[in-house]
Amino acid sequence: MADCYEIRLPALKIRQGEQAIFAFGVDGKRIHEFTTVSRVHRDDTELQGYQRPEVLSHIRAIRRYLESDGAMLPNAVVLAFDERVSFEASTDRSALDYVTAGELVIPVDESLPDDQKPAWLVDGQQRSAAIRDADLAEFAVAAVGFIAHGEAEQRSQFILVNNTKPLPKGLIHELLPDTEGHLPTAYAKKQLPARVLSALNFGSRADGQPFATRIATPTMANGYIKDNSVLKMIENSLYDGALYQYRDPIDGTGDVDQMLLHLNYFWTVVAVTFPEAWNLPPTKSRLTHGAGIQAMGYVMDQLTDGVPAVELPGLNLEKRVASLRSHCAWTSGNWDFGAEQIRRWNGVQNTPNDVRLLTSHLLRALR
Amino acid sequence: MKFYFPDSQDLVSPAYDFLRDEYPAHRVRQRDDRYAHEVLAEAPYHGILVSKSIVDGSIKGAGKYSGAQRARLYRMGVHRFFRLPRGVETLGDNGAFNYIDEPVPPVTVAETLDFYEECDFDAGVSTDHVIFGYEPEATAKTADPEWVERRKLTLRLAEDFISLTNDRRTRVQPVGAAQGWSPTSYADSVNALQEMGYERIALGGMVPLKTDQILACLTQISTILAPGTELHLLGITRIDAMDRFSALGVTSFDSTSAFRQAFMDDRKNYHTNERAYVAIRVPQVDGNPTLKRAILAGSVSQKDALTAEREALKALRAFDGTPAGRQDCLDALGAYEVVCQSKKSYLDAYAETLEAEPWRHCPCSICREHGVEVAIFRGTERNKRRGFHNLSVLRHQMGQLVHSRAAVTNFADANT
Repeated sequence: MADCYEIRLPALKIRQGEQAIFAFGVDGKRIHEFTTVSRVHRDDTELQGYQRPEVLSHIRAIRRYLESDGAMLPNAVVLAFDERVSFEASTDRSALDYVTAGELVIPVDESLPDDQKPAWLVDGQQRSAAIRDADLAEFAVAAVGFIAHGEAEQRSQFILVNNTKPLPKGLIHELLPDTEGHLPTAYAKKQLPARVLSALNFGSRADGQPFATRIATPTMANGYIKDNSVLKMIENSLYDGALYQYRDPIDGTGDVDQMLLHLNYFWTVVAVTFPEAWNLPPTKSRLTHGAGIQAMGYVMDQLTDGVPAVELPGLNLEKRVASLRSHCAWTSGNWDFGAEQIRRWNGVQNTPNDVRLLTSHLLRALR
Repeated sequence: MKFYFPDSQDLVSPAYDFLRDEYPAHRVRQRDDRYAHEVLAEAPYHGILVSKSIVDGSIKGAGKYSGAQRARLYRMGVHRFFRLPRGVETLGDNGAFNYIDEPVPPVTVAETLDFYEECDFDAGVSTDHVIFGYEPEATAKTADPEWVERRKLTLRLAEDFISLTNDRRTRVQPVGAAQGWSPTSYADSVNALQEMGYERIALGGMVPLKTDQILACLTQISTILAPGTELHLLGITRIDAMDRFSALGVTSFDSTSAFRQAFMDDRKNYHTNERAYVAIRVPQVDGNPTLKRAILAGSVSQKDALTAEREALKALRAFDGTPAGRQDCLDALGAYEVVCQSKKSYLDAYAETLEAEPWRHCPCSICREHGVEVAIFRGTERNKRRGFHNLSVLRHQMGQLVHSRAAVTNFADANT
């Protein structure tokens, strides 16, 4: 039983030069009634439509967020209307000559196939799919629409809207520690390591905290140890090493204070044992390089796994780490990895293979 | 007869959400996950086999362990890393298939023994080089010179290996690797290994052999086999021939086939004591490459695909064992097959699977907990659980073997 009806939505018409855009609110559950999500396909040889398929994992992540408490989608979805959609101004004048209040009138004919609906979704495909799937009665979103003259114009808007760069990863990691509420899985996982990293970096050097102000992040440009190297070391230890004991496997939280105590104790020993190498940037020292930080992280796990931070002073770590001295070539000389594998001090790179080689070398030296 | 399961980092996540097809956000691989011996009430194997090439990487890539996991395995040792119950044994090998195309093995005898000792294995196979061919009549003079060379090399490495274990007074039991291309050459290898002092010998390179060829080799070997020497078959199951293998001196074997059939075989996915069934394929719309391409090309509507996928899952979960319920499932599965543009239909086989409902009668803890989900061919969590279920069936079948009754009884005691 196909129906014909009109959807009337209160809207503001905003003039932009020759063009006009319409800002309005709409229940995300209803968007698909009048909107098509055209996907790229070829009709004989002619390109039709313009949109990529839904990314289901992304939709699931948004959906989970929407179903969480206090969810908000502040950015607007963008719709391209065809000429069947009209705007009816409710007043003749307004205080601002570029804004007019009124109503958008969208005709809906349920018998029309999907690709003949009056609106096309230019931006917000994943968001509107998430709202459609979410376990919610309604979820209103902000929308911006414009009346396009033909598919070519819609297509160019689609490219313009989607030609954005994602935020740099380093900046996201730096924002994570002070973020609350629901996060996408990938970031939720990084939050605890990022929190530990930030606490290491913002400690005080005067108190002898070895990483304080040394880690380079977007807002700590003077640091010389790459944030990513330290993050990897923390993650490795958190999942497979000494820091695991402070993690709650049920909810993924952790005791950050104890982790700091643990890390600061061990890395102070490292800094004191190799003072020169610790104070030089990675170009001059492999210790502060990704390979050195990760390999020494494994040394920490080897020596301290399962031992709580307060008991670390009893382990005589100074002596164990000092025993590595004759096996290390952080700033000069050669690494002797055995089996005719001799590398210059700086011949070790931050690749999984080299990290593995260096780690095996150090762990063997400990035994 | 003892069964070893080769490790390939096959675990399941106990907190996986089957309805949403999602992992918990904070899941840590391996640590929060569970092995077959942890999710089944009884360990379905007597031991595990861990290859150096899987852990450390080798010629073909970096292995299956992350750097952090590898470091933890070395640190904790194989028993604690795998959280093995008492009585489950550990056997190490080099994973010689990984370097089969190399002229010589890329590992030394010392590196092999280092791996076994550092990970604290109960036993370890000497460094070997696989001969990938079978010619029963060929002699050392007429056989492919490369085979002859590989057999010699394997024996020389075995000699170095056992003398190194003696020098180091290692706790790892040395297992000699025997290679060959014929009954005679295998028997010669076993003979030489016995003379070196090996009391346990692993027969390699037999994976492609037919059962009667394996039996021919074992028969020849049995003529020189010293009393007390134990034989291990690397990579062989052949449950039907196990009693005969056992009578010829085989005391253990390893194989992934029961596990891998769950998601690799075209038909025999879900095992029962009597027969194997096809698992019901409900691929994930965003996980099936063919479907993804078709959606991207615009020839399949993603909306239709999603609807058909959901309907199939819904029908299976609602299945009550009645003919009407079965028809609902088959209709939904048929519709999804059409959307997926499947080249062939499994509907007849599905009808058999649904009619038998083997998961309803299976006593294993996985089928009890997850029911029909175990019979659905979809994603690693369901597929690996079905593999684990198959291992539990294999364990039961082994209990039925004449020659293994004694071993299995001991094994059950050790597990309690």
